[in-house]
Amino acid sequence: MGRLKHPGPGFLPFGLAIVLIILSLFLIFSKWKKGIASTPFWDHRTWLRPLLGVAILIFFALVVQWVGFLITTFVFLIIWMGVIERIRWRTIVSISVGTTVALFLIFRYFLEVPLPVGFFKW
Amino acid sequence: MFQGLANGFGIAFSFTNLTFALLGALLGTIVGILPGLGPAATISLLLPLSFKIGSPVTSIIMMAGIFYGAMYGGSTTSILVNIPGEAASVVTCIDGYQMALKGRAGPALGIAAIGSFIAGTIGVIGLTFVAPPLAEFALKFGPPEYFALTLLGLLMATLLGGSSIVKGLIMVVLGLLLGSVGLDPISGAIRFTWGFFMLQEGVDFVTLAMGMFGIGEILINLEKELTTELVTRKITHLWPTLKDWAESKWAILRGSFIGFFIGILPGGGAVISSLVSYAVEKKVSKHPEEFGKGAIQGVAGPESANNSAASTSFIPLLTLGIPGNAAIAMIFAALLIQGVQPGPFLITEHPDVFWGVVASMYIGNVMLLILNLPLVGMWVQLLRVPYAILAPIIVLFCCIGVYSIRNTVFDIWVMGIFGVIGYLFRKVDMEPGPLILAFVLGPILERSLRQALLISAGSPFIFFSRPISGAMMGFLILFIFIQIVRAVRAKWTRVQ
Repeated sequence: MGRLKHPGPGFLPFGLAIVLIILSLFLIFSKWKKGIASTPFWDHRTWLRPLLGVAILIFFALVVQWVGFLITTFVFLIIWMGVIERIRWRTIVSISVGTTVALFLIFRYFLEVPLPVGFFKW
Repeated sequence: MFQGLANGFGIAFSFTNLTFALLGALLGTIVGILPGLGPAATISLLLPLSFKIGSPVTSIIMMAGIFYGAMYGGSTTSILVNIPGEAASVVTCIDGYQMALKGRAGPALGIAAIGSFIAGTIGVIGLTFVAPPLAEFALKFGPPEYFALTLLGLLMATLLGGSSIVKGLIMVVLGLLLGSVGLDPISGAIRFTWGFFMLQEGVDFVTLAMGMFGIGEILINLEKELTTELVTRKITHLWPTLKDWAESKWAILRGSFIGFFIGILPGGGAVISSLVSYAVEKKVSKHPEEFGKGAIQGVAGPESANNSAASTSFIPLLTLGIPGNAAIAMIFAALLIQGVQPGPFLITEHPDVFWGVVASMYIGNVMLLILNLPLVGMWVQLLRVPYAILAPIIVLFCCIGVYSIRNTVFDIWVMGIFGVIGYLFRKVDMEPGPLILAFVLGPILERSLRQALLISAGSPFIFFSRPISGAMMGFLILFIFIQIVRAVRAKWTRVQ
């Protein structure tokens, strides 16, 4: 951590950690004293949709290198729109196709960003 | 100086730069209109693009255009559907939406655009005159001064914005800690990487920004079945009446000056300017009870303030090398990517960057006025895309953008984690804004602190013995003291 004359890498983080602890304790105590009734974080399943969103995101991260950008994106869009929002099939498919193609073109050709190419060489 | 400006105009008028300025302005306006994607996140999305562009001037011109455009665009959704396009437009929601409900969306939008133009221009004029002398002054800044300045900025960011001060402080501390992940610049020690090789360079700001702001925002919006309401009312007269103009002109002027000064201070910026302007307008108004029910000054003042702050928030970046808010921090990153070191030497070492950007801001303001006034109707169409469809597209865009930085899926994971963290933070009413500001300023803060202590051989008095930093520290302490006194007094009156 170093001494004051020669502050080492641990200097600031340590100090910050102490400040953080103090602040957090302060926050906890001040709310406790006020006696505010605790409100539930989520009422009746509002956590469901965000959780699904995270799940689909995890799916994307896991799969994209394996299977390639095009397919993963397409599937991502379909799952998201189908499961989380309930949109008509026709709209889902058309938007998924359109967006995947558009994004692919923008990122691969316009911006020339290397995208994950999976098994299927796509 | 005028030579520099003339030079700058020459650069700004090149076809490429004009196109990119227009592109930036357009993109910025769209982004400002879309809820959930602010200028900081957009600029971070386009950081990979700045590689392609190659020239620092052009990239910054485009990003400045985005920044501005977002200020203009943010007011559109605030007024029409009570959804702030971004933080600086939150205040506009209050009276702007009320005006829209009374069928006066047109004048509200119009005065917001006009006010923004006037204020932005005043801001840029100020930038032209104040920037060079400020840069010379900046050369006097050594590590203790930077430390004091950064500390001041961070503290202002927490104390002036947001609901709970303690929560704001916690976010700042967290941001500082996050900033220390990776290789320590002074000693080379590896910190907080938990064995992940990928974290040695530290957390990337783009990843953090897109995670906390982009994904976090979408996650919290997913909780409510948000289908953005269609704007059913037709926007008829776009032009404010003469009466509106008479009522607003002073508000616009006041807002411009408020934004100008607060915009210069790091940690200040557009959001604070809009808050202060609203408070001022309410105080000086002859009909304060009108505020909250559709007072046009409640739109004119804050909107002007946030635009002039947008112009002047470039000053600390271009002259001192300190970014004042998250979006400017992204531009800071873009400059670094281009190999341009922001700091007091920017004007002397890269005059083309500086003057080119300033000149293009003048032009940008004009472009934005032209874009916004007649095309409001069209912009509103964007709102008709149901959020249900927009959300996954934004998420995808974030994923790809983040991936493209280092071609590794690891970054997508990190972004995802920050997304969840951002979501949880919002649930407990903690603003991610101070966190990311602290994250960006953290390395500067730490470096200055350690260098200052090294210079002074361990004595903390160095911060007070030098005139400039002493003055800043003094101001800081005074400021904190006043806040404490105020808080204690408030408790007293409540007890009684």
